[in-house]
Amino acid sequence: MQGTTRRTGVMTDVHRRFLQLLMTHGVLEEWDVKRLQKHCYQVHDRSATVEKLEDFIHTINSVLGSLYIEIKKGVTEDDGRPIYALVNLATTPISKMATDFAENELDLFRKALELIIDSETGFASSTNILNLVDQLKGKKMRKKEAEQVLQKFVQNKWLIEKEGEFTLHGRAILEMEQHIREVHPDAVKTCSICHGLLVQGQSCETCGIRMHLPCVAKYFQSNPEPRCPHCNDYWPHEIPEVFDPEKDREAGGSRSNRRSLRARQH
Amino acid sequence: MLQKPRSRGRPSALSQVDRDWARSEDTSRDGATAEEEVPSTSSGPGTSLLSGRRSLTAPAVGPRTQKQLELKVAELVQFLLIKDQKKIPIKRADIVKHVIGDYKDVFPDLLKLAAERLQYVFGYKLVELEPKSNTYILINALEPVEEDAEVRGDQGTPTTGLLMIVLGLIFMKGNTITETEVWDFLRRLGVYPTKKHLIFGDPKKLITEDFVRQRYLEYRRIPHTDPVDYELQWGPRTHLETSKMKVLKFVAKVHNQDPKDWPAQYCEALAEEESRARPPPPPPPPAAAAAAEV
Repeated sequence: MQGTTRRTGVMTDVHRRFLQLLMTHGVLEEWDVKRLQKHCYQVHDRSATVEKLEDFIHTINSVLGSLYIEIKKGVTEDDGRPIYALVNLATTPISKMATDFAENELDLFRKALELIIDSETGFASSTNILNLVDQLKGKKMRKKEAEQVLQKFVQNKWLIEKEGEFTLHGRAILEMEQHIREVHPDAVKTCSICHGLLVQGQSCETCGIRMHLPCVAKYFQSNPEPRCPHCNDYWPHEIPEVFDPEKDREAGGSRSNRRSLRARQH
Repeated sequence: MLQKPRSRGRPSALSQVDRDWARSEDTSRDGATAEEEVPSTSSGPGTSLLSGRRSLTAPAVGPRTQKQLELKVAELVQFLLIKDQKKIPIKRADIVKHVIGDYKDVFPDLLKLAAERLQYVFGYKLVELEPKSNTYILINALEPVEEDAEVRGDQGTPTTGLLMIVLGLIFMKGNTITETEVWDFLRRLGVYPTKKHLIFGDPKKLITEDFVRQRYLEYRRIPHTDPVDYELQWGPRTHLETSKMKVLKFVAKVHNQDPKDWPAQYCEALAEEESRARPPPPPPPPAAAAAAEV
């Protein structure tokens, strides 16, 4: 985390506007974050050179530290897009959800989360989640209603849906990783490459180690004979492409624009 | 504005917290890392979700550590930010109930520190809605800019347009207007009290309930009216968040004219600007008063 002895940075109106507007997004892709940064410079300090995003964010984080908040950078598990979210480091992470959802809805999320973490694939089927509707705390919820609530989670970027199954959105992982590790220490899976929490990924069929898809992409990049880093057996899965922001922009940019070969999510 | 701390001179780690924030202190936070149990000083319901574990709570008596106080202020800042998102004024009682808890004795200091952080870090001012009301709102110290709308994540609020129209109406009509007059005007724009609107949804609910609850408008029954009519005026939040001059400029822009084209309102707006800039001027000499018409 913070190990540097650099001075805490100085906030200017550029940083403040950036922070205010960033907060209106639950999570934001890197390209949009850069656009936001540029906008803030335009408003307050047209003539200044736009600072490198990493340093810009570091300045803000050094000030946010005393408030136990942080702008955290992560990567989407399915295609390696860099994402950013304002994350709560102190109070239990789901406090941000708590304002938008009722008690029974939050409990539904809790149950879905548990199923997802326990699962082998990182996905929990809609059916399995809905079957738990009777066990929810708070007001009684019908399955029909629960379906709507799950869609609400998808819209708010807490869950991703793929072909009737649900997994955690990068946002949820960013915000809740620490907490998930504490509450489900035995069920939690880790990536052998980056050692981060793993929900979706590929696993070696021989020795069982797991890797995130973007980590697989980087590790096996231009390797004609991919082999498991642990047991050296042939890696049986398709190796995904490394995320290239330039190519992505040319191909039509953000998620919402792209034709998706897989089922829609995000 | 904010309450002054009631007691001074009490030895408190708060002043240490305050001083630390004034200088760089990355190193003092090295201890608060992921290896520790997730720190939280609240044990109240509604602050924790996933945890069935006990969270760190402040001892009921005894000195609090600097870190606990720092954490408390952090929770308070978060609470205020989240609450203000809904645009409902934040009651002091709620703050005490959900965040402060055992730390009631240092509440004014915590609030002051939270307000400082909100201003320095986020550019939000914590303001009391009305003197002695014990309710607070956050107002933006940064001027909103049209291009903000393109980079926001929450579409701002489409209802702001309707609010601005109503605020403009009220001001141009002499700071008060009847509900009947409002609908007479809005009908011409295709907005009806009884019809669902494509953008605004339920305009009647917006104007007579939501904006009132958010304290943008005051809505009062006019006695002895039959059929019953109500009067609408600017609410305290409007007075804090905007100004007569800004609203006049908006109205002028809509009409493609200049604010000075409405001399009476322009003078009134100007007077408000001046009184905000400095304390009220001494009463004018009798000769000047006689000449003044507005």
